[in-house]
Amino acid sequence: MILDLRPVLWGVGLLLSLFAAMMALPALLDWRLGDPDCAVFSAVTGLSLFCGQVLIFANLQQRTRHFTIRQGILLAVIGWTVLAIGASLPFAFGHLRLSPSDALFEAISGITATNGTILRHLDTLSPGILLWRALLQWMGGIGVLTLSAAVLPDLNVGGMDLFRTESARLDERLVKRVRRLLSGILIVYAGLTLLLGVLLWLAGMSPFDAVLHALSTISCGGFSSSDQSVGHWHNPGVDWVILLGMLLGGAPFFLHWQIVRRQWREVRQNSQVRWYLGLIVLSSCAIALWLVIEQDAKPLPALRHSLFAVASVMTGTGFATLDWSRWSGFPIALLFLLTFVGGCAGSTAGGLKVFRLQLLSATARLQLRRLLSPNKVLLPTFDGRVVPELIPESVLGYLFVYILSFAMLAMGLAFVGLDFPQALGAAAASLANLGPAITPAIGPLGSFATLPDSAKWLLAAAMLFGRLELFLVLTLFSRDFWQN
Amino acid sequence: MQTKRSGGDFLFDLRPVLFANGLLLCVLAVAMGLPLLLDLARGGSEAAGFAASMGITLFLGAALTLSGRGRGNFGLGTRQAFLFSASGTALAALLAALPLILGSRHLSITDALFEAVSGITTTGATVLTGLDQAPEAILLWRALLQWLGGAGVIVAALVLLPMLRIGGMQIFRMETSDKVENSPRRLPRLVGKLLLLYGVLTLLLTLGLRTAGMTGLEAVCHAMASLSTGGFSTSDSSLAKFGNGARWLCVIGMLLGGMNLALFINPWRGIRWRIARDTQIRWYLLTALGFTAMLGFWYWAVAGQMLHHAVLQAGFQAVSILSTTGFRLSDDRGWGGFPQIAIFVMSFIGGCTGSAAGGIKIFRYEVLFAISRLHIARMLHPHGVFSVTFNRLRLPAAVLRSVLGFFMLYFLCFAALAIGLAVVGLDPLSSLSAAAAAIGNVGAGVGPVIGLAGGYHALPAAAKLLLALGMLIGRLELVPVLVLLLAGFWKD
Repeated sequence: MILDLRPVLWGVGLLLSLFAAMMALPALLDWRLGDPDCAVFSAVTGLSLFCGQVLIFANLQQRTRHFTIRQGILLAVIGWTVLAIGASLPFAFGHLRLSPSDALFEAISGITATNGTILRHLDTLSPGILLWRALLQWMGGIGVLTLSAAVLPDLNVGGMDLFRTESARLDERLVKRVRRLLSGILIVYAGLTLLLGVLLWLAGMSPFDAVLHALSTISCGGFSSSDQSVGHWHNPGVDWVILLGMLLGGAPFFLHWQIVRRQWREVRQNSQVRWYLGLIVLSSCAIALWLVIEQDAKPLPALRHSLFAVASVMTGTGFATLDWSRWSGFPIALLFLLTFVGGCAGSTAGGLKVFRLQLLSATARLQLRRLLSPNKVLLPTFDGRVVPELIPESVLGYLFVYILSFAMLAMGLAFVGLDFPQALGAAAASLANLGPAITPAIGPLGSFATLPDSAKWLLAAAMLFGRLELFLVLTLFSRDFWQN
Repeated sequence: MQTKRSGGDFLFDLRPVLFANGLLLCVLAVAMGLPLLLDLARGGSEAAGFAASMGITLFLGAALTLSGRGRGNFGLGTRQAFLFSASGTALAALLAALPLILGSRHLSITDALFEAVSGITTTGATVLTGLDQAPEAILLWRALLQWLGGAGVIVAALVLLPMLRIGGMQIFRMETSDKVENSPRRLPRLVGKLLLLYGVLTLLLTLGLRTAGMTGLEAVCHAMASLSTGGFSTSDSSLAKFGNGARWLCVIGMLLGGMNLALFINPWRGIRWRIARDTQIRWYLLTALGFTAMLGFWYWAVAGQMLHHAVLQAGFQAVSILSTTGFRLSDDRGWGGFPQIAIFVMSFIGGCTGSAAGGIKIFRYEVLFAISRLHIARMLHPHGVFSVTFNRLRLPAAVLRSVLGFFMLYFLCFAALAIGLAVVGLDPLSSLSAAAAAIGNVGAGVGPVIGLAGGYHALPAAAKLLLALGMLIGRLELVPVLVLLLAGFWKD
């Protein structure tokens, strides 16, 4: 094999060390509260710290720290998988004693910032476990942001090329720029988490719940500390704050950084955010209208609930103020389709991403106009700039692979015994890193516990696959990847 | 393209469109004569309806032909061809609904329109119930509609679509460009041969089905509905009524109906060679085989059926949906989720281009797969130069773009239709399934309403109209309809 694995292993070691630092938090919390899970958390912390340091020092001689494309891909895939396995250990060996498939499902669902939980009676769980679940999602969010700022644009995964900063040459200055951008984005991420936590506390949550929900909202994760999700608090203030958090999480963090630096011109020019917000407002107005007409709901609460559900589905968070999977007909069909849309590129949301939708509709319109005037030169544009032909092509290729994976996943789920709506809903929701499906049993207030183990494995694999933008995983299967 | 300004403010000449529409209606009027004759011979009650409809259609057809008649050479330009394919299908469906409205059954306008559109687009979704007792003339008319629709599609795929460059169809012009076939003088001969082949295959299938135990009318209807990948049956229980022999014959008919029939003509050029070399047919057969294996395994291992029964049911279902025919052996109540999902997924695949089948079509999937592989290669080698091939021909970038654009538009139309159906009151499952079945021209869906053969009669009228529109859009390969909506189409 020609691929040099040492930088990859070094990177995994670094990730494991950071991971151990995170896991020390629930260990400390459980120690303070005298919870027996403290032992498990400490043991896993020690283990991952040890493994991480061993990997770092074993591969230290390779100090270049320069990743090639393939090494970057490999690091993303291996890193995510290894961390998911590590994260599942507290679930398996703590007081919950989950089976291996359950523990892994929960861990993968956490670290991909999905929201498929197999746990029930969340209100009775120990604070350590609850904090761990929220932290997992928060870490997953960091991973996604790093991926979308540093790795994906250089790889041109499904048209991400569009967001490559300026020149195509990867010179030293650019690397520095990316590093600065990334640190800016992460500062914004941490700052927003803090802000949300404070706001939630002010809105009436207990400090612990506020921290948990801040962590899982900004990462578009959606793990809650109650079986009723956000509906538990019956507090419009909490609803609005979390709605704001989800909207921020599903918008590009690059944009938040620009807002912090007061680059208003760039902010105004960002058409992706306009589409994103427009779609959310339009869809939720339509659903609110339906609720008012069909279910005689009061207009304002209906609007709040529908906004919340639409934002929750599009950003792939999966919170719920009420069980929106029990709505019928039009809202369900719309929410199902919105699952595919997802949030903005450069956010913690999943799905196809809004910018791809923009490019796709631009391409489709262009295609029709080309048919009428075959000899006219027509070029696709994005944000007022002409886009190279390759980008719409990559985007459509991405759409195709996304839909194909969805179809195969749905068939696989049906094969192991899920019924039609469950299979479709669960497949769409796990690929988009949303979690809850459009059927009540595995909906926002449901639980994946009753599914067969094979279905859990399929779903967990799909979450990883979706989180890694499909193509990062697919390249591993190309013969080219392993040869020179 | 003609840019001669004449008549109205249009940039293009409308007369060729009128003329072609008129000819189409005349053909339709002649076709109405067949059920009329059958009814007269059997002494049924439908003769008046058919005669009246025939008169109206013939009158309208003749009027259009005469008003659109022009001097000198006149061919269809791009815009005229778009307009003709959309208006022709819609107009034919409108008039084909007449016998159903005027006949003894007195269908409502919505129902009749739905049935006629479903027939002429070879979809096969029916709102009629009690088919076993229905007048023979009506049964024959439904089958004829599908057969004519199928013929129309095959001819359009050869003549119109490549000219319009819809969804990458231009490569088929490129593919058959061994100078002889491409010349406009040879095109009518090619079309003639194709129709002859279509007719002969129908005749053979009819004879086969007759020997397998069907009555004459049943054999004719099912042969027509199989080869055109339509799916109207003469019984409410679809093919469940008939024996295994008839079922297998229909499987063969549907399988053939979903293939590119143009490859079967010109036997002197080495038929075996051309068909074996065609990657589209190979992938079509492989897909059918793959779904048969998966479904068969599920029926056998999970549902616990006998092996031979499982294989028959799986093969029948796979071919029926893939070729977008929509015949069924039993309704899907009591099935598990897997066959339902498989049917839903298959209705997005469809048959080969150049056949009467609907859906996205196999060749586009070949291109899409190639593009995805290309994408991976580009990720690993950002500076490499790659190209996509189809049937050993290098594809120009324009073809890739049209295929991708088509794929995108297909899913957009599907989503819009599904949302529309949900708005008018269908449950989410039915709206998704019905939208897929309509746009793919399959006709058979899943769920409590769409899953039953002939369950469509229970839908609200608005849903029927939406579905009829979906069938038309799907049949025309989306683009002709969408292009008409562009402002640029009517102006310069």
